[in-house]
Amino acid sequence: MTEQTDSLLPELARKLVETLGLDMAPESVDPDAPLIGAGLGIDSIDTLELVVMIDKDYGVKIDNRAAGVEAFASLNALATFIRQHRPASPA
Amino acid sequence: MSPQPRIFVTGIGVVCAGANNVAELRALLASPRRDFRSPTVFPCQGATTNLPAAEVTGLDTSQVGEAPRTHRLALLAAREALGEGPPPDAIVLGTTTGGIFATETALQAGSASPADYRYHGLDTVALHLADALNVRGPVLTISTACSSAAVAMSVAQALLRAGLARRVLAGGADALCRLTFHGFRTLQLLAPEGCTPLDTNRAGMTVGEGAGFLVLEPTPDKRPILALLSGTGLSCDAYHASSPHPEGAGAAQAMRRALEDAGIEPSAIDYVNLHGTGTVDNDAAEAKAIRQVFGLTLPALSSTKGLTGHPLAAAGAIEAVISVVAMTEGLMPANTGLDIVDPRLGLSPVLAPTRARINAVLSNSFGFGGNNACLVLSAPPAKLPVENPKVVSRPLPALRIAGSACLTAMGGLDETWNALVAGQSAAGFVPDAAFSKAVQAAFVRRLKRLPRLILALAQTAHATSGERTPPDFIAVGTAWGPLAETQDFLRKLFETAEQFSSPTDFIGSVHNAPAGQVALLLGATAPNLTCSAGDRSFSQALLCASLGVAAGAKSALVIAAEAHEARLSPLFDPGAATGPQASDGGAAFVLVPDDAKPGPRMRWLGEYRDLKLLQEHPTAPYDAILAGVPASLAADAAERLAELTAAVSPCLLVTFRDRLGQHASVGATAAALAARAVLEGALPFASTPIPLPNKRLLLLELGPRVAAIEVFA
Repeated sequence: MTEQTDSLLPELARKLVETLGLDMAPESVDPDAPLIGAGLGIDSIDTLELVVMIDKDYGVKIDNRAAGVEAFASLNALATFIRQHRPASPA
Repeated sequence: MSPQPRIFVTGIGVVCAGANNVAELRALLASPRRDFRSPTVFPCQGATTNLPAAEVTGLDTSQVGEAPRTHRLALLAAREALGEGPPPDAIVLGTTTGGIFATETALQAGSASPADYRYHGLDTVALHLADALNVRGPVLTISTACSSAAVAMSVAQALLRAGLARRVLAGGADALCRLTFHGFRTLQLLAPEGCTPLDTNRAGMTVGEGAGFLVLEPTPDKRPILALLSGTGLSCDAYHASSPHPEGAGAAQAMRRALEDAGIEPSAIDYVNLHGTGTVDNDAAEAKAIRQVFGLTLPALSSTKGLTGHPLAAAGAIEAVISVVAMTEGLMPANTGLDIVDPRLGLSPVLAPTRARINAVLSNSFGFGGNNACLVLSAPPAKLPVENPKVVSRPLPALRIAGSACLTAMGGLDETWNALVAGQSAAGFVPDAAFSKAVQAAFVRRLKRLPRLILALAQTAHATSGERTPPDFIAVGTAWGPLAETQDFLRKLFETAEQFSSPTDFIGSVHNAPAGQVALLLGATAPNLTCSAGDRSFSQALLCASLGVAAGAKSALVIAAEAHEARLSPLFDPGAATGPQASDGGAAFVLVPDDAKPGPRMRWLGEYRDLKLLQEHPTAPYDAILAGVPASLAADAAERLAELTAAVSPCLLVTFRDRLGQHASVGATAAALAARAVLEGALPFASTPIPLPNKRLLLLELGPRVAAIEVFA
């Protein structure tokens, strides 16, 4: 894994917990567990909340079901999805 | 039960995308064409540039003054519905946007002048109509998201059946605004190319706007009778804050209740006007519900939202007008916008306008909070005049208070009572500790102050009532609704040049979101209403619940509450939200039909344009009048109180907001304490407790109109 992933992953964990008001420490989010469903109690509205956050903060759009399934498979998958689709940032 | 009087439709009026009156609507239904495009009433940029809406165009607004768009649309349609006829004696209006368009503009401009926000309250729309149309009786506002107008029809029907009005103007109005347009966009529910209901490739809804009204009366005057409002049915999914029940369970229940109320079999329905928004989930759930109710032989059906867009709170009224026109014209409206019917739905919608005799129509409306309302409209009987069971005008029966709760700065009911007995004031904001533990943290994770207050009130009242089953009827009153959600949604939207905001805040911002949460908490699939009428919100929730009990509900949960929001409350309700009396909180009651059991009673007495009308009702020997004087009326308070003393037989006058603080729903708190007082035989609202030998109190809210309730034991 690259350093890029290392910095993005904890950042995403922190934003996940903050955005959704989860009652847990960001470090305790399992990076390989599914984001949606029973584990964290994340439902469709939470998912849309994350979609807005990812668009606003990273310029990455998740606007169809297939992209959602790929991006929200886990926190690691989300980091990978963002790195792959992130627009080249201005210098 | 004695036969219900038939309710006749004697006038219709409409404004929607593509039709600014009924004549234009007839032409539009005969030759459907739509013109969805980017909204012109507010600028769209960036990601929203080409996203279409269904906007009303070419309005002649020269006769409707300077009020905001929702108010203007409402008045145009209301005037058309009434024609040259006499004024109605009551209004029941469904709306969700009210004057928020003006509020958005003022917030964006950074205005700190409350005058710029004077039209924010949902109540201002119906009051605008009442002033223009000279209405003496109740002016009710229902806000249950996209089912609002259909729920308003049901309340109007109940008012007429109970003999509380003879001629009701019932409908709904909503205008395009940033909150709803961007709100549905953040939910990814807006179709990029415009909605295509029931299509296999449907991609969402199109936000519309407009207004629709029916004039309803059991004893019609000489006007032609256009139709009958034969039945209404309400239900709540109690499933999710915004998504419909996937099997359409609540929708099917509301349809069945409407058919049962109309006293007809499903096979008698000739045409169904679907809710049919064009979202994947709505259309799938509604199709399942239709198949459950109608079985194998489905009536003709279509969604007209491909033509009108989705006019949100007005939808149920505009579609009721469409249903009436369908019957009078003998024309099945087409499912405009449809290309390939989704085979998974199992429906065969009307593809082109079709001539046919239509005797009965079912019209569906579903909204956030799982709020469902269905109407049955029928063609008028062939022979007139019609024998109709006589409507007897009498007061609503009193209800026994089986459980109650309140929240003030002092805490719950006991703490508040004890503080008042000790001579303290209960004014101020409710401390978090007083309500944060009532409901599990995981359940309220996404909820802000108002839904949390309301859930705590609901939980406590339900628990103290000893009722084991969910309530048979839920009615919530709130003047300002979930303000923190509204403020946060608009703040985030404006901070990002109208590109991003929170879907959670949007869903939470609708006035009936807390009531939907109560249904989820208690598993209550019963009718679920939210009334929003300024200082009369509690009174109107009590009225709706009383009508529900009169129609057979075995228990009703009535809640009224406000939540202070640091930025918006002082702008919207400056008198109440600033200074030492600024407060929030509210109260809740579990009410059951009057029975032999001991305990306090509560009765809705009336809502009047002026205090003099109180004299029309016999007065019981009240020990005291509890008068709520809103801070906004403080300048006129002395005059109003003098009027009041003249109007009601002499007895002690107590202005309860001095002790309980200022907020729009504090009347509910006063009622909870009054119920305790009539049991204890003394009222601790003054420096020395007031004895209550008759155990009977009159509670009045003195806003722009007067609401009256009595509490006795």
